Amino acid sequence: MKSTKHIRVVALCALLLAAALPGKAQIFPNSYINIDWQMNVPLGNSFADKASGWGMNFEGGYRITPAVAVGPFVSYHTNLQNIDRQTLILNNGSALTTNQKHAVFQLPFGVTGRYSWCNNSVLQPYIGLKLGASYSEFSSYYYVIKQYDDSWGFYMSPELGVSIFPNPTYRFGLHLALYYSYATNSGSLLTYKINNLSNFGVRVGISF
Amino acid sequence: MTVKTIHYLAIALLAAAVCSCQKDPSTSSLHRDYLVYTDHDTKADFAAFETFYVPDSILIIGDNKQTLYWKDEKAQEIVATVVAKMQNAGFTRTEDKAAANLGMQLSYVERETYFVGYNNPYWWWYYPYYWTPGYWGDWLGWHYPYRVYYGYTAGSLLIEMLDLQAPQTEGKRLPVVWDTFIGGLLTSNESLNQQRTIEAIEQAFAQSPYLK
Repeated sequence: MKSTKHIRVVALCALLLAAALPGKAQIFPNSYINIDWQMNVPLGNSFADKASGWGMNFEGGYRITPAVAVGPFVSYHTNLQNIDRQTLILNNGSALTTNQKHAVFQLPFGVTGRYSWCNNSVLQPYIGLKLGASYSEFSSYYYVIKQYDDSWGFYMSPELGVSIFPNPTYRFGLHLALYYSYATNSGSLLTYKINNLSNFGVRVGISF
Repeated sequence: MTVKTIHYLAIALLAAAVCSCQKDPSTSSLHRDYLVYTDHDTKADFAAFETFYVPDSILIIGDNKQTLYWKDEKAQEIVATVVAKMQNAGFTRTEDKAAANLGMQLSYVERETYFVGYNNPYWWWYYPYYWTPGYWGDWLGWHYPYRVYYGYTAGSLLIEMLDLQAPQTEGKRLPVVWDTFIGGLLTSNESLNQQRTIEAIEQAFAQSPYLK
């Protein structure tokens, strides 16, 4: 997928830049960058409802005041589920008996804002909100076939987190966050219908 | 935690980013079970059919352009299962092909991969004298009264029910009123393959209650 290739390039550039400048107080003045691995737990989604760690989050922000930052974000995640053999009554009198693997892929992006406290200490907690668009793909794998539907929706995600800078003068540390997300994506596949996507999750990564 | 440790974490995160984009699930476990797809002509009145004819062998579709038949004990068990299920559904078997209301043709895809589309010509058209419309009567080609899009791959069994009461005047095509595609029948265990095949045929009739 093209978008994920771009994400990889951005991540690589950001990390190489960070690694090359470990002594600098801040790579970009009055700004931050987070790169996170995430564990995502679907809520109320019967299509692919197993928690998974197949996802990442990338975001950056410019501090318009010492406590408030605004910037772009993009993340992606895949959740999977095994479906035992079952008979599906399809349209127009056809029927299908098979086992399946379901996958939901989510790619939200947009604007993120945060309010943080204790900006010169080791622990810097914050609350944040992400708003934007989300691309989703709902897939069923069975036999030698992949069947899928995709959609676009509105995305919203409140977040509670903390940045940890062991040495605040280096501005290179860890990032932990809890998030909830809601997207208006919907789709239909075989006999399944999906309306809205809600998730809960944890992010662990680096901040600089 | 030192800055050096965080650098190692950054490298680990980069590796995770590279590996975890859109994750496709492993599909190897999907082959541990069979697939049964059935479809039918919703305008067909199955109660109006009384008799059916089944040949005593199964056509093998492989890379050999010669017509090959499967006639051993396993093939007979498969044919017998189809006959039993048709009789359970209320149809009567006849040995007179010309007098039968329905024709049942069984084909096993051994090697080749085929694709059948609604507007495509019937793919085994060139197999001589067997499972062609001419085998059943005086029809010009086939006709699916419903949309058909299949991929036939190795280890698939196809069963098709033909309406032999359809008009045979010039230019008419022979309609397929019910069909099933059964996939996932190839494993390294031959007895398991046979057991799966029998179970899958039973499932095909179980999910087609309109045949009764």
